[in-house]
Amino acid sequence: MDAFSMGLVGAVGALATICGASEDIDSDIGSQSNPNSQVQLAAQVGNPHRIYNKAIAGEPPSNALWCTCAAVVAYVLITTYHMPALMSIAAGATFAALIDGVMSTSAYFGRSASQSRFNQWIYLDLVRYTTTSIMAHVWITAFTVTTIAYIQIYMLTPHHPFPLPVIALIWGITVGAIGSSVGDIHYGGEREFQWRLFGQGLNTMLSGQIVRKAEAGLRNTIDNAWFCAKFGGPCTGLGMFLTVFLDNWRTTVFDPITQAPYAIAMGCIFVIFMNLYNFYLEVSARRKYGPYPGYKGDIPA
Amino acid sequence: MITFDALTIVYMLEIVVGSLLVSVGVHFVPVGGAPAAMAQATGIGTGTVTLAAGSGLTGLLACGLMMSVTDNIWPILASGAIGSMIMMDATMLTGDFIYSYAVGCPYASAKVNYDPITGFSQPPYVAPGTVGQGIPTVCFVTGTIGALLGGVGGAMIYFPCNMISHNPAQAAVFTIGIFFVHSVIPSWNIQGTIEGFHDPKFKKWPFAYKASLIAGILLAIMTVLIQPLGGA
Repeated sequence: MDAFSMGLVGAVGALATICGASEDIDSDIGSQSNPNSQVQLAAQVGNPHRIYNKAIAGEPPSNALWCTCAAVVAYVLITTYHMPALMSIAAGATFAALIDGVMSTSAYFGRSASQSRFNQWIYLDLVRYTTTSIMAHVWITAFTVTTIAYIQIYMLTPHHPFPLPVIALIWGITVGAIGSSVGDIHYGGEREFQWRLFGQGLNTMLSGQIVRKAEAGLRNTIDNAWFCAKFGGPCTGLGMFLTVFLDNWRTTVFDPITQAPYAIAMGCIFVIFMNLYNFYLEVSARRKYGPYPGYKGDIPA
Repeated sequence: MITFDALTIVYMLEIVVGSLLVSVGVHFVPVGGAPAAMAQATGIGTGTVTLAAGSGLTGLLACGLMMSVTDNIWPILASGAIGSMIMMDATMLTGDFIYSYAVGCPYASAKVNYDPITGFSQPPYVAPGTVGQGIPTVCFVTGTIGALLGGVGGAMIYFPCNMISHNPAQAAVFTIGIFFVHSVIPSWNIQGTIEGFHDPKFKKWPFAYKASLIAGILLAIMTVLIQPLGGA
């Protein structure tokens, strides 16, 4: 372990935080992931809306696609044309953002057009200014993931044996999985349904009754990004940070060649700590919120 | 050049065992699917394959790094398991931050009356019109076990692939493919949502086990035939 390696691990952690946050906000602007089931349902139960709708792929495979596209372009520019790494990665991320723009536009037109029988309109102004916001966030995600992969392969010791596109593919799947698991709850559980009772999940009876009016005017997905960037995005960033940073930290502090058992033991300690912390959260939430008032069963709280 | 000897059979067995571990491990992961993203069901708010692949492949990165410095299988398997568990636990923990601090609900399972690990009562804490929310302790622990099995399974598939081809990139891509196959097979058992080993659906794991055994044998044969052709 040396100070330079620890600095790199810190940089990797910071990049992972930005990457997780931008990934989640991208999926919120595009309404790409699980909560989109309610957006899809809304028009069918008589609530046409102005929410962007690009959910034709799950978050992990689509993010894996953007990140791998960026990494392939960067890899070719670095190895074949000997371009500087930073410029190559930026060029790769730009290519990934363009691919995403094509997918998002076609997904929005296709999804909205298929619901024309439910009076769902296609809003061209949404396509014009929302697509570019999505592309900007995808650019950040692709850039950060490719930079993390580059640092792991060329700078951190020991160098990772996988090539740049494979690591970008794996981190793309991982960041998509985390964004889909963490950030979606803030969008689906909190933002989509704001006029129900606070402190509970969505009652099945309210399915499809999404909020369609914004603080001013009609709500669109930029408004959702504004809301989710306050907590859902940072939490996703924290999840990605913990994954990337803890995994790299233990193999940087403890040399995998001579101190492999210590690196593994440190990982076990992290896992046990997270289990205990979740137990504390559960106890704390039960104590603070208490049982639901309408409960009439036999089992005591 | 393709050679077939006793070591090749050992490699094939490792791929089959790794496949079975992944297949069983997926049943342990508490996935709530789209309903959990609306705090309408217990578990992690995403799909089965998504989460199993996300955690297992993070384990693959860790075991790939370990295999670049040693050929000893035990630290490689342990690294895969640890990488996978860290990803799964980080995801569940930060997801629970949102359930606690944004949605503002206690964690509860609707599948059991009392948490098998902590003994906490569950039905009074299940919100009306939902089937639970959040990730209670039993789900968190079962998710960690699922990640452990998935990580070990992924590492056990990667190890023989790399030993045959001596090409980490090719071995990683093969492992990702085999991993996805064995993440998808249990999804038919799970049908969208499962809470872990305490869920009644968990008892259906032998069906996925048998299907994964057949798929694992076929993939093992393909792997030992194809891997040597693209070796470095």
